[in-house]
Amino acid sequence: MIINRHHKLKVTLAYLFLIAFILFTLMPYAWMILTSFKKRVDAFAIPPKIFFDATLSNYYDVFITKGMIKNLGNSIIVMLVSVAIVMILGLPSAFAFSRFRTKADTILLNFLLGTKFTPFVVMALPLYLIMSRIGLLDTYFGIIVAHVAFNLPFCIWMMKGFFDAVPKSLDEAARVDGYSWFRSFISIDISLAKSGIAATAVFCAINSWNEFLMALILTGRTTATMPVAVPGLVTPRGTLWGQVAAVSTVITVPVLIFAFLVQKHMVSGLTMGAVK
Amino acid sequence: MMKKSNLINDRKLAFRFHFPAFFVLLFITLIPLLYTFRLSLFNYQLSIPGSDKEFIGLANYIELIHDAEFFKSIGITLLYVFVSVFVEIVIGIIIALILNKIPFMRRIFTSAILIPMMIAPLVIGLMFSFFTNPQFGLYSYIVNYFELPLPTVLTDKPAIALVTLMIMDIWEWAPYMALVFLSGLQSIEGEFYEAAEIDGANGRQIFWKVTIPLMKPIIAVSGLLRAMECLKEFDKPYIFTGGGPGNATEVIDLFTYKQAFTQFRFSYASALCVVLFITLIVLGVFYEKFTMKEN
Repeated sequence: MIINRHHKLKVTLAYLFLIAFILFTLMPYAWMILTSFKKRVDAFAIPPKIFFDATLSNYYDVFITKGMIKNLGNSIIVMLVSVAIVMILGLPSAFAFSRFRTKADTILLNFLLGTKFTPFVVMALPLYLIMSRIGLLDTYFGIIVAHVAFNLPFCIWMMKGFFDAVPKSLDEAARVDGYSWFRSFISIDISLAKSGIAATAVFCAINSWNEFLMALILTGRTTATMPVAVPGLVTPRGTLWGQVAAVSTVITVPVLIFAFLVQKHMVSGLTMGAVK
Repeated sequence: MMKKSNLINDRKLAFRFHFPAFFVLLFITLIPLLYTFRLSLFNYQLSIPGSDKEFIGLANYIELIHDAEFFKSIGITLLYVFVSVFVEIVIGIIIALILNKIPFMRRIFTSAILIPMMIAPLVIGLMFSFFTNPQFGLYSYIVNYFELPLPTVLTDKPAIALVTLMIMDIWEWAPYMALVFLSGLQSIEGEFYEAAEIDGANGRQIFWKVTIPLMKPIIAVSGLLRAMECLKEFDKPYIFTGGGPGNATEVIDLFTYKQAFTQFRFSYASALCVVLFITLIVLGVFYEKFTMKEN
């Protein structure tokens, strides 16, 4: 009886602690989202207001009047195109790592791992110099190349695991039926690894969407993605924090929605390399 | 790692599948890296026309080892990485242990703690700037209201600015560590605990004598991986104070960025990039050796 009650108390305390931890953690984020819906007077009110008349004026002002919608479009273009390229190039290679063996495998895998560890500034500086020499700064091409450069190795690593999980006997059966390896890859393995492909694509998309340093270096006035355009709203003469909060909300909320859609794979993708 | 017997040994076939990806990677990662290395041996500065053809050998590297700013930046980075990752590990273990104990609703909690690591690091920097703004930030209001012994201006003193950046990183990544450790805890066989309980071990003994030794490899690997990511920090200090006050939060990537894009000393920045690259690759080799041993 006493042990049981003691145990119950412990479990209750654990829940209370977790709830407190999460509330405490998410407070700055919730605060930012609330601010994005506040009028200027409410945003700067002391004491801070929890209840207020919600307004979309910050969103209207920053996206329509200030033209942030152009940057939103740039972010979407860069994300979609770079993820499509990464998947088209990466899937066959990941499949080959999972099914075939060559002497070069170790070197190639180490090369991929090496690019994964390379700091972004190390990749971005030569790309900047090369792009400026051939006149490709501030073009979609330049920034898409950079995003492919860091997402492609990641995609191959992650997809190799998902292809490993597809039984090899299915390929063999298809081979017996006269399928070529390529046809077997397209019609059997890709469709069986569908959820893994979705998770990998979401992962790469989030990496591209959130990326700042390369976009800062390689984009300009016409191709700036949202993360590059936001700091422009922070000025020494006064920052319209409501608008900053509105853009930040638009940057983060879609990511969270997609992350939760593929949550199971999300955790395994995030912990990849740290947990077997 | 791979079951070799099941894999098809066909070089031509493998080549066809690998070719598109590695052909592209050759151009967009390997050649740029080699270009950086070559450039680091020159004296390319935007302010000096024709300087990109002036070969100076290892002069940039020699300048680097005499550059006090560089070593200061290294020191700041190491302090930042060490403290952040250490605290992330400690908080991660605590949260993972609690998550592992609760009987239901675990999924909701793990979903909720996914949020910080999904938010763009740049937005985290902006969010904290806003949250701790001395005039209207909720943080400053709470500190003043409860008269807490905490500073309200976080950007003007070197130590305080650096600690604030560490807190941002911990905010972002401690929940990640909790998720990693949770999956580690769940892979520990129940019989270890049963044996310990039969031997009459108490909770604290079980933690130090059973849980921690079994978790050691996963703590080491995830800590190393996190440290390598943390070494590449750029977004948060860039947006929070731009490396300031002075250069108190100028971590190594930000230092390199400024050499290249505010000083326009491209060759010197290239030498920095080469050093950074080699450092990360050495750490990567450590990481690989370690995970190989575990397997």
